[in-house]
Amino acid sequence: MAFKISLNDGERSALASADQSLLDAFLREGIWLPHNCTQGTCGSCKCRVDAGSFDHGGAPFDTLTQEERDAGIVLACQARAQSDMLIEPLAEIDDSVTHHPMRDVSGRIAVLEDIARDTRRLVIELDAEMPFLAGQYAELNVPGTDVWRQYSMANAPSETRRLEFHIKRTPGGLATDGWLFKSASVGDQVDMKGPLGNFGLFEAQDDPAILIAGGTGLAPMKSIVLHALAHDLIPEIFLYHGGRAQADLYDVDCFRALDAEHPRFHYRPCLSEEAWQERSGMVTDCVLEDFSSCKGMSAYLCGPPAMVEAAGKALKRRRLPPRRTFKEEFTEAAKIAAE
Amino acid sequence: MDGNTRLHDTPDWIANITIQELENNPYPFYERLRKEAPVAFIPALGLYIASTKEACRAIAKDGETWGGFISPAGGRTFGHPNVLNVNGPEHKELRCMVDPALQPRAVDGYVEDLVRPIARRYVEAIEDKGAADLVATFCEPVSVRALGDLLGLQSVSSDKLREWFHKLSVSFTNAAVDENGDWANPEGFKPGDEARAEIREVVDPLLDNWEKNPDDSALSHWLHDGMPEGKTRDRERIYPTLFVFLLGAMQEPGHAMASTIAGLWTNPEQFERVIDNPKQIRRAISESLRWTSPIWSAVARQAKKDTTVAGVDLPAGSVVMLSYGSANHDSNDYDAPSKFDMDRKPVPHIAFGAGPHACAGTYFASEVCRIGLEELFETIPNLERDETKEIDFWGWGFRGPKELHAKWEV
Ligand SMILES: Cc1cc2nc3c(=O)[nH]c(=O)nc-3n(C[C@H](O)[C@H](O)[C@H](O)COP(=O)(O)OP(=O)(O)OC[C@H]3O[C@@H](n4cnc5c(N)ncnc54)[C@H](O)[C@@H]3O)c2cc1C
Ligand code: HEM
Ligand code: FES
Repeated sequence: MAFKISLNDGERSALASADQSLLDAFLREGIWLPHNCTQGTCGSCKCRVDAGSFDHGGAPFDTLTQEERDAGIVLACQARAQSDMLIEPLAEIDDSVTHHPMRDVSGRIAVLEDIARDTRRLVIELDAEMPFLAGQYAELNVPGTDVWRQYSMANAPSETRRLEFHIKRTPGGLATDGWLFKSASVGDQVDMKGPLGNFGLFEAQDDPAILIAGGTGLAPMKSIVLHALAHDLIPEIFLYHGGRAQADLYDVDCFRALDAEHPRFHYRPCLSEEAWQERSGMVTDCVLEDFSSCKGMSAYLCGPPAMVEAAGKALKRRRLPPRRTFKEEFTEAAKIAAE
Repeated sequence: MDGNTRLHDTPDWIANITIQELENNPYPFYERLRKEAPVAFIPALGLYIASTKEACRAIAKDGETWGGFISPAGGRTFGHPNVLNVNGPEHKELRCMVDPALQPRAVDGYVEDLVRPIARRYVEAIEDKGAADLVATFCEPVSVRALGDLLGLQSVSSDKLREWFHKLSVSFTNAAVDENGDWANPEGFKPGDEARAEIREVVDPLLDNWEKNPDDSALSHWLHDGMPEGKTRDRERIYPTLFVFLLGAMQEPGHAMASTIAGLWTNPEQFERVIDNPKQIRRAISESLRWTSPIWSAVARQAKKDTTVAGVDLPAGSVVMLSYGSANHDSNDYDAPSKFDMDRKPVPHIAFGAGPHACAGTYFASEVCRIGLEELFETIPNLERDETKEIDFWGWGFRGPKELHAKWEV
């Protein structure tokens, strides 16, 4: 049985089954609703329910407080309809960007290799195309479970059938320790859905950009850099990659080659626990050292939540306009749910 | 009506309230008024006060029973006829004079180009200093420059416009009367009288020019709009309303911006959220207008006939002051009303009044505040409160922070 979920613009609506999130229903119809994690941790998918009944699904209280629930707010990525509904997204829908509808796709593992400490490159050959925007992510199903995990595409969006991912091992983690670093091997089938997410380079921009990545936060940055350089979308790019030691860095040769080839591209790996011939220190401190002012620039930040937060603060100190700061946090849903 | 009988009925806590106490902090007195006497006669003022949302709204909306009426000190400051104290066709004529430039559609057409460069200029003047009193260096200058340029007063400096509204405000809020109903503090009108004389000296030649050479400034339109060919509006019909503008409309967007920042500083999590997401600035301004209403208790209505409000019989001729700043703390509508909280349920506030005399500048004022704060927060996203300095809210007629000391890393 499917329910009709209408947006309060009086025009758009989607059909949602009782076990499908509201967000999922809209994205499959090709109707874009803001969202950043599809796992209930970022809060960007909040909607006010004007009519209809529903249950909150797995919405954590950290993200959706009791007061918000009392005020009829839901997380669209978690809530399930129990009747027809009328909803109103709290965040503005940016209609200037054309998004690709989310779809289910399957593929086979073509590459699964170690590229750095506790870090693997995963390449999946899809049976069908999955067009996406540079910076977006997909959800991968952990085989044999109904668990889905988010991973960002690292290849340029011009390649829509062979998707590259960078995976960091999380000790005790179901998808990583239990699958991609354990049982998974080349040739295995993988079910996924995508594209997803607000984060990325969606149009050409006039301001230079600082990209700050922690660990596998480099994945969406690689896609953004390749896309921007190929199509001349950003006048100057400073890519910072933070790790503890050289063992944590990867794709160094690729970025060094781009740096040598494109005067507008600067690659700056920073190591927090190892002295070497290049930058040492926390990646955010390196950025603070390099720029006395970030006025008139934009920033893309991606990685563990603590790094993204620290980088956001550092850039504010350098007066980079927050409106031009774009963030992607690799939150771990299982950990949040357990807290 | 006999003031003495009412005085007789008045409980001590009301009889003894002084304007000074109200100006320092009106909230405790009003909290009790809302509970015990939503419509009460206040001897120190010589008129009634309505303090609940329900009473204020009922009176403001009912244009049949209630007419716009200026407080005696306000009338003394602005002169007659001004838009606040006329009714019927005369009010309509003055609103037709001031409204066109302030309609949302008209405002949308010019406000970005008008206000953003102004806001940018004032923020550029402080951005490398690392510290500033935002009231004096940003909120007030942006507020007066935006309206000044809209009116056609480009030749008048921002400091002069600020001086004028401060002086007019002193007179307007000089409301205290003695037991005979005479002014308790007559010399309090001097600053307003001075400002008025100076304003006429400066504005008369501008009007002379616009009479012959109309342009697109609002004041030029005030002279010409709705007049027969070859005629212009009599200046005596323009000045009293211009004084209303040069006080309230100049001062209040500045108050609103300053109170929004001060409110956000009471809630660091929400402050950070607004800095990170400028789309939330509108919501922050709206909550600030509720939290500290800039026109806190400055407008009144007079009963055209006998009537009853909140169980109080009010004979024809009764004057009731509408304390919107109190109405916006009404606990029937707002939990923990003295807390600044952008996330509270968005129950509409009444900071712009209601009914036929509702604020003409609602949309313009909100846009000025939005653009001002957008520019400030975008250019100085590391803005912080200077904790070594107190934030002193002041005022009962009009209310806002007197100073607002900020610091930031440069
Ligand atoms: C939008 C988005 C994009 C992402 N992109 C990438 C990417 O490109 N690359 C990448 O490497 N990662 C990415 N991530 C993170 C990724 O989705 C996973 O969260 C991460 O790989 C961990 O998944 P897991 O299943 O291995 O760990 P989980 O099983 O989710 O466990 C996470 C942590 O929680 C702990 N935990 C689990 N259950 C409990 C419990 N009951 N009590 C206490 N602790 C518990 C585990 O021990 C572990 O430390 C992204 C995340 C988001 C939201
Ligand atoms: C945030 C800033 C402002 C606030 C809070 C505010 C609030 C108010 C309030 C409460 C009233 C009285 C309403 C009533 O009697 O019910 C009023 C009246 C008025 N305001 Fe504003 N105001 C602001 C800015 C402005 C601006 C910028 C302008 C003009 C550009 C303006 C023009 C007017 C006029 C003309 C009136 C008189 C309306 C009448 O009596 O018919 N206001 N305002
Ligand atoms: S909380 Fe729903 S998308 Fe992040």
